[in-house]
Amino acid sequence: MLMFAASSMAFAQQRTIKGTVTDESNLPLPGVVVTVKSSGKATSTNANGGYQVMVSGAGDVIKFTFLGSVPKEVTVGEKNSVNVTLVTDTKQLKDVVVIGYGTSSRKDVTGAITSVKAEDFNAGVLTTPAELLQGKVAGLNITKSGDPNKQPATILRGPSTFREGAAQQPFYVIDGVPGASIDLLAPADIESIDVLKDASSTAIYGSRASNGVIIVTTRKAKTGQTRLTYSGYGAVENVSKNIDVLSADELRKYLSDNGVAPLSKPTDDDGSNTNWQKLAEKTSYSQNHNLSYGGAGTNSEYGASVNYLKNNGILKNTSLERTIYKGYINQRFFNDRLKLSINLTNSATKNNDIYQSQVLSGILFYLPTVSPFNPDGTYKENYTRTGSGPLNPLSLIDNNFIRTENNKTLINGSAQVDILKGLKFTLTGSTQKEQNNVNIYSTSQSGIFVNANGVASRSAYTNTSNVVEAYFNYDRLFGRHSLKLLGGYSYQQDRNNDGFGVQTQNFSNDALTYNYLPFSNPTQLSQIIFNPNYAINSNTPAITYISTLRLISFYARAQYQFSDKYLLQASLREDGSSAFGLNTRHGYFPAVSAGWKIISEDFMKSIPVISDLKLRAGYGVSGNSLGFDAFTARLIYGVPPGGGKFLSNGNIVNPIGPVRNDNPDLKWESTGTTNIGLDFGILNNRITGSVDYYVKKTSDLIATYPVSSTLYFYPFYTANVGKIKNNGIEVVINAIPVKSQSFTWRTSFNVSHNKNVVESLSNSRFTLPFIQTAQLGGKGQSGNYSQIIQPGYAIGTFDLWHYMGKNANGVSTYQKADGSVIATQPLTSDQFIKYDAQPKLVYGWSNSFFYKNFDLNFLVRGVYGNKILNATLASLNNPADARLQNIPRFTLGESFKDINAYLISDRFLESGSYLRLDNATLGYTVKPHIQAIKSLRFYASGNNIFIITKYRGVDPEVNIGGLTPGIDNRDFYPKTRTFSLGITAQF
Amino acid sequence: MKKIFFICATIAVIMSTYSCTKLNVPVESQYVKSNFPVTDADYTALLGTIYSNLSSSYAVPYWRMQDMSTDEAILPARDGNFDDGGQYRQLHYHTWTFDHPNVIGVWQWGFGGINTCNRIITVINASSSTAAKKASSVAEVRAMRALYLYFMMDLYGNVPIITDFPVTTQPANQPRAKVYEFIESELKSVLPLLPAKSSNAATNVGQYGRPTKGMVFALLAKMYLNSGVYTGTTRYQETVTMCDSVQANTNYFLDAKYRDIFLPTNGPAINETIFAVPYDQQIPGNQFTRFGFFYYLAQAYGFNVGLSIAMSTTPEFYNRFNIPGDDRSKTWLAGPQFYPDGNGGFTNQPVYYPAPNAAKQINIIPTLTLTGLKPMDLGNDVVTSQSEGVRSIKYYPDVNIIQATRLNSNDVPVFRLADIYLMKAEAILRGAAPTTINGDAQTPLTLVNKLRTRAHADAATSIDLDALLDERARELSWEAWRRNDLIRYGLFEKEYPLPVAGGKTDDLKMNTDPTRRIYPIPSTELKTNPNLKQNPGY
Repeated sequence: MLMFAASSMAFAQQRTIKGTVTDESNLPLPGVVVTVKSSGKATSTNANGGYQVMVSGAGDVIKFTFLGSVPKEVTVGEKNSVNVTLVTDTKQLKDVVVIGYGTSSRKDVTGAITSVKAEDFNAGVLTTPAELLQGKVAGLNITKSGDPNKQPATILRGPSTFREGAAQQPFYVIDGVPGASIDLLAPADIESIDVLKDASSTAIYGSRASNGVIIVTTRKAKTGQTRLTYSGYGAVENVSKNIDVLSADELRKYLSDNGVAPLSKPTDDDGSNTNWQKLAEKTSYSQNHNLSYGGAGTNSEYGASVNYLKNNGILKNTSLERTIYKGYINQRFFNDRLKLSINLTNSATKNNDIYQSQVLSGILFYLPTVSPFNPDGTYKENYTRTGSGPLNPLSLIDNNFIRTENNKTLINGSAQVDILKGLKFTLTGSTQKEQNNVNIYSTSQSGIFVNANGVASRSAYTNTSNVVEAYFNYDRLFGRHSLKLLGGYSYQQDRNNDGFGVQTQNFSNDALTYNYLPFSNPTQLSQIIFNPNYAINSNTPAITYISTLRLISFYARAQYQFSDKYLLQASLREDGSSAFGLNTRHGYFPAVSAGWKIISEDFMKSIPVISDLKLRAGYGVSGNSLGFDAFTARLIYGVPPGGGKFLSNGNIVNPIGPVRNDNPDLKWESTGTTNIGLDFGILNNRITGSVDYYVKKTSDLIATYPVSSTLYFYPFYTANVGKIKNNGIEVVINAIPVKSQSFTWRTSFNVSHNKNVVESLSNSRFTLPFIQTAQLGGKGQSGNYSQIIQPGYAIGTFDLWHYMGKNANGVSTYQKADGSVIATQPLTSDQFIKYDAQPKLVYGWSNSFFYKNFDLNFLVRGVYGNKILNATLASLNNPADARLQNIPRFTLGESFKDINAYLISDRFLESGSYLRLDNATLGYTVKPHIQAIKSLRFYASGNNIFIITKYRGVDPEVNIGGLTPGIDNRDFYPKTRTFSLGITAQF
Repeated sequence: MKKIFFICATIAVIMSTYSCTKLNVPVESQYVKSNFPVTDADYTALLGTIYSNLSSSYAVPYWRMQDMSTDEAILPARDGNFDDGGQYRQLHYHTWTFDHPNVIGVWQWGFGGINTCNRIITVINASSSTAAKKASSVAEVRAMRALYLYFMMDLYGNVPIITDFPVTTQPANQPRAKVYEFIESELKSVLPLLPAKSSNAATNVGQYGRPTKGMVFALLAKMYLNSGVYTGTTRYQETVTMCDSVQANTNYFLDAKYRDIFLPTNGPAINETIFAVPYDQQIPGNQFTRFGFFYYLAQAYGFNVGLSIAMSTTPEFYNRFNIPGDDRSKTWLAGPQFYPDGNGGFTNQPVYYPAPNAAKQINIIPTLTLTGLKPMDLGNDVVTSQSEGVRSIKYYPDVNIIQATRLNSNDVPVFRLADIYLMKAEAILRGAAPTTINGDAQTPLTLVNKLRTRAHADAATSIDLDALLDERARELSWEAWRRNDLIRYGLFEKEYPLPVAGGKTDDLKMNTDPTRRIYPIPSTELKTNPNLKQNPGY
C-alpha cells in the first residue's frame, strides 16, 4: 500500500508538458532535442516546433538543445505548457568563414579574414554591398559620394596599382560565382560577407585578388523550416549641406562695393534673385520592399525573393528604380551523394539622370541675378557669356535627359558529388548576361544643342560572362591529423560591349523624344553619329569596341592541422589571361601560411583569464589583371587620337591608324603580402579582438604613362614599371561590456593605419623619374597636374604652386622655383611637393544595445591625418570673374582685383580629418505568438546624423581611394541626410 | 558510385584539356595586324591618318601661333570672357612660356604627324604591293613628313630629325640649319616620284590635299626665301627658280574672283591652290566663323549658332587695306553693317543689335580700347566693347555650321599661286635677277599688279620691300604666314600699343627679345625626353 501510495504519489506528479520551440524570429524550430533531466528520456520537436514530454514533478528540468543555438534548461514548475525561444549561438555561427572554394571554421583560419553578418550591416538607403560594410572592416576604406547612382570607391590596405576603376576594386564572389555583378544583390538578401584581406587567403583567386576578395553569401532557409519574410522601409532624404554662394543682392552689392559697372540688363541682370541650387534640388522619397520565402526539407531546399527599390534622387529628374527576382532550388539524390542546385537572379534597373557635371557646376556658378525664364516662358540663355556656368541650369535639367535601363540575369548551376568518404567533386557553371539600353534626348529648347530641334540617341549593348569551375575537395581526419585538399580548374570569358548606338537630330516636335528615330530629319551626314558616347556630358563619338577577356586557371590548396594546435596551409594558382602579352600570359600565385592555437597548449590552462589566443602568419602572391582594355597588349588599328575624317579623291573617309603601342611583354601586377596576426579572447570571450600587421609589396605595376611624342606614335605606352609598398597595422576589439537578462551592450572598434610609398617607377627598359597625375582643369590650367607619383612618396602626393599671400594690391602671389615671388600665374616648373592624401588612420566604432524588445545601433566612423585639395573652392574663388559667374561667400574676403585668386595652389590644401555619426537605428521587436505573424520589428534609422570636421567644402568624404585621392574637384554633389522608417515581419 | 566518379573525372579531364585551355580570343570590332591593311582602301585609310592629323590642328592652334603672335590677329578678353588663362594675351605680348597650351599641343601635333609618317613608311615597305606603287606611296608620305617637319622647324627652330619608327633612343634636337638641310634633301629626293597638277579635273580631285610637285616647289621657295632666317645664308635666286618651277605648270593660274578661293565650297576647282588643308562639317578643325565672325550678324548671314565675341584684327593691320576698289578689303567687317548680297557685297538693309539695342544698327569699331581693369580686356558692353575689333569673313561663314561643333567647311590654303608671285617679287627686290617664265618677263611690279588686277584694286606704280610686305598683308591675311613674314623683315618685335580708356597706357608690354622668334621646347617634352635642350632665352 505504501508502495502503491509512493508509486501513486510519483504517478500523480508525473504529467505531460506540451510546448513549442521557436527561434528569435519566432519561427518554429523543428528537430530540437528535448531531454527530460530526471528520466533522461529525449524527444525532438515536430515540424511546427511542437513537443510533448512527461516530467516527474515541479522540480524537474527540461533541456532544449539545437545545433547552432545556445542550449536552454527550464525548470517546469507548475506549468503544463513550456514555450521556449532558442537564441542563435552567434559565437558558433560566426565560426564559419568562407575561404574560397570551401569554408573553414574561424578558429582554424590562418589568414586575415573579416566576416560581417547581416545583423551588423549598416542600415539606410543603401544600394550596394560595400555600403553595408563601411566602417566595419579594418583596412577596408570605403568612400561614397552623395550621388546615389555612383558606386562607392573601395580600397583595401592602401592603393597598390596605378590604374583606376576595377583595378582598385576588390574581387567579388557571390555564392561561389567569381566576378559576379554586385548589382544583382539586394542587401536584404545577404546573409554574410567575408572579406579576405591578405594574399595567403586571396591567392587562391590568383590574378584578380590583389585588392582583396569579398565573398557574399545569400540567405537560405534552415533545415526543416519554411519561412516567409517581408521587410520594407521608406526614407526621406534631404540636402544637408550646399556650397554657400551669394544671393543676387549680395552679388550686386559686391560688384558695386568694388566700383564695378553693374551687370548688363536684362541679359545678365533682370532683377531676379534666383537660388539655382534650390531650383535643382528636391526632397527625395525612397522605398524598398523585400519579400522572401523558402523552405528546406530532408532532400531539398528552395527559396525565392523579390526586391523593389525606388530611390528618388535629390536632384530634379534623377532617380533609380531596381527590381530583383531571385530563386534557387537544391535537390539531393542517392543518399545525399549528389546535390544539384540552380540559382536564378534577375536585376532590372532604371535610371533617370541629367547632365550632372554641367548642372552641378551651373547651379553654383550661374548668375543669381538672372531668371530661369524669359517673359514669354522660354528658358533664358545668354550664349555670349562665358565663365564656368554658361548655360541655364534649370534648362539643362528640364531639356536634356538620360534614361538608362540595365537588365542583368545570372544563372548559376552546380553539381556536387560525394565520390568517396571525404572526396567531393563540385562542378559549377554560370552565365551572366547584362543588357544596357541608354537613351538620351535633348529637346529643341536645349542649350547644349541649339537649333538642332531635338537630338536623340539610343544605344544597346550586351555584356556576357561565362564561368565554369570544377574542383575536388578531399577532407580527412587521421587521428590527430586533419587534412584538407583542394584541386580545381576555372574558365572565365567576359565578352563586353556587343551592340551599337546611333544619334540623330531634327524632329518636328519633342513629343516622341528618342522613341522613333526615323522621324528625325538630319540635314548633314555629320549629324548622324554611330556608337555615340553614352558617357554623360560628351558630344564626341564613343570608341566602343567589343572586348573579350578569357581567363583560364588551375589551382590547388592543402590545409593541414595537427592536434588542434598547429595549422598549415599552402596554395598555388596558375592563371592564364588573354589580356597580357603573348610572351607573358601565364602567372603563378603561391601562398603559404601557418597558425598556432596557443590556447590549446597545456600551459594556457594556468591563465584562465585568456579564453582564446592564436598566432597567424602567412605570405602569398596575388595578381591584378582587372581594370583595363582586354586588348591592351596588342597593336590595334582604329580612328587615331584627334579623330576626324579626311578627304580622299573627293570623298570623306575615315582614317584608320594604330591607336595603341603594342607590348608583347605586358604581364601581371603581382602583390606579395606578408601578414602576421594575433587573435585573442579574454574573460571567457567577453572581449575578443585581433591585431594584424602586414607588408604588401606590389611589383610590375602596369602604368599607361605619357611617352615623348618625339619617340612614339601614340603618346601613351602601357608597360610594367614600378613598385609600391604598403605596410600597416589593423586592430579590432569586440566587447560585450554589459550582458544581463534584459540589457546587453555589444561594441566593436576597428582602426587601421597604412603607410603607402612608391618605391620605383622604372624597369630595365623604361626609367621614369615621376608620373604626373590629377589634371584638374580650371581656368588657364587645363594642362596642369596637381599630384605626382614619385619614388619615396605616397600615391596622392600633392605637387602644387605655393601661395605666398596677397600683395599690396590684394593680388594673390606665388613662389617661383627660384624662390622669387610673383603676382602672375607661375609655371608648371614652379610646383612644389607638399603633403599627401593618404589618411594616417581610418576607424569605425559600432555599438549595439538591446533592452528588452528594443535595440539600438549606431556607427561612428572617420579618417584622420589626410589632406584634401579643395579645387572646388579654388575654381569658385574667382572675384575678377564675378560679372560672369557667381562667387561663394568665402570670396567676399578677396579683392576684386585679384586676377589669380582661382589658381589651384597649396592655399586650398586642407585637413580632411573627420568624425561622422554615420548611422543610428532604433528598433522594437514584437513577438505576438499568433499563428499568422511570428515576429515584427519596427525601426527608425538616420544616416549622416552629424559630422565633425574643419574641411571647408561640402563634405570631407571625398574619394581617398584611386590614383588621385583626396581631391575635391568640383565634386559638387550635395551631401544628404536620410531618415528612414522600416518594418521586418516574419510569418 | 564508380560510375559517378568516372563521369566526373571524364568531365574534369575534358574541361581541362580541350579548347578550354586556349587563350587566344578574337578581336572582333577593331582591325589588327592580320586583317589590316590589306586592300587599297586600307592603305588609303592608313595614309589618311597623316591628313586627318594635319587638319585637326592646322587652322586653330597652329594658326594661332603663326598669326595671333602678330598684328594680324588678336583675341582680347571681354570682361573676363575669353581670357582663358591668358593664352591669347601671351601670344599677343610674346610672353608665352613652355606651358602655353599651343606650344605643347602643336608640338604633339607636328611630331605625332611625323611619327605617323614614319610608321606608315614601315608598313608600306613591308606590304606585298608592287615596287612602283610602294615607291610612290613612300614618296607621298616623305613629302608630308617634310611638310610637318618644316612647320616644326619654323615654329620651334632646333627640333629633332626623326626618320624611323620606333626609335630606340630619345632623339636630341638638331640645329635649325641641319633640320633645314634635311627637309631640303628630302623634298628634292621625292620630287620625281610625285604627281603634277594636270588639266584633268578628275586627276586634280584625286591629288587635292595631297603632296604634288607643285607643293614641293612652293615649300622649297618658302625655305629659300627664309634661308637667311633659318640658316644665316640667303638663297634668293633659288627662290625665284622654285617660283618659276611652280609657274612652269600652267595648270596653276589665278582664279577670277578673290573671294571664291576661301568659300565654304572651295576645293579642287580652285586653280591657284597648290596645297590646301581640306575641311568639312565632317573634317573638324576650321573654326574661323566661331572665333572671328561677329555673333550678332549670324542671322543676317543665314545661320543661328552661338559664337565667340572675340577674335579680330588690329586697327594697324586693317589700315593696310587702303587701296581703292580692292576686293580684298571686303573680307573685313568694319563700320555699320548691312545684310550680305550673297555675292561678296552688301544690300542696303541694315542689321540691328538684339534687344535692348534693337534700334541701333550694328557698328563695328576698328579700334581696340582696353578698359585697364583686367589684362588685355575690352570690357563686355554689346554696343561699345563687344563691337570693337574688325572681324573677318575671308573664310566665309558656312551656313551648315551647328552649335555642337561650330565648324567651317572652308578649305584653308597653305600654298597658293599668289604667294608664289609675291615670294618671287620679294626675292627679286632682295637681289635676285628677274626671270621670264612662259614668255612672261616678270618683275616685282608686274607680279604685284597681277594680284591687284584680279582684286580690282588700283594698280601699283612702284614697289619696294615695305610695300611688298603690305601687299602680302592684303593678299595673304589670316593665311598663317604673317609671323614668318615679320621675322624675315625683322619686324616681329614691332609693337602697336593698345590704347587704354582714360588715356592711360597699357601696363603690359611686348617682350621684344628676339629669342621669341622661335617658340620654346614644351615643358611636357622636356620632362619625357632628357635629350632635348631648351631653346635659348627660355
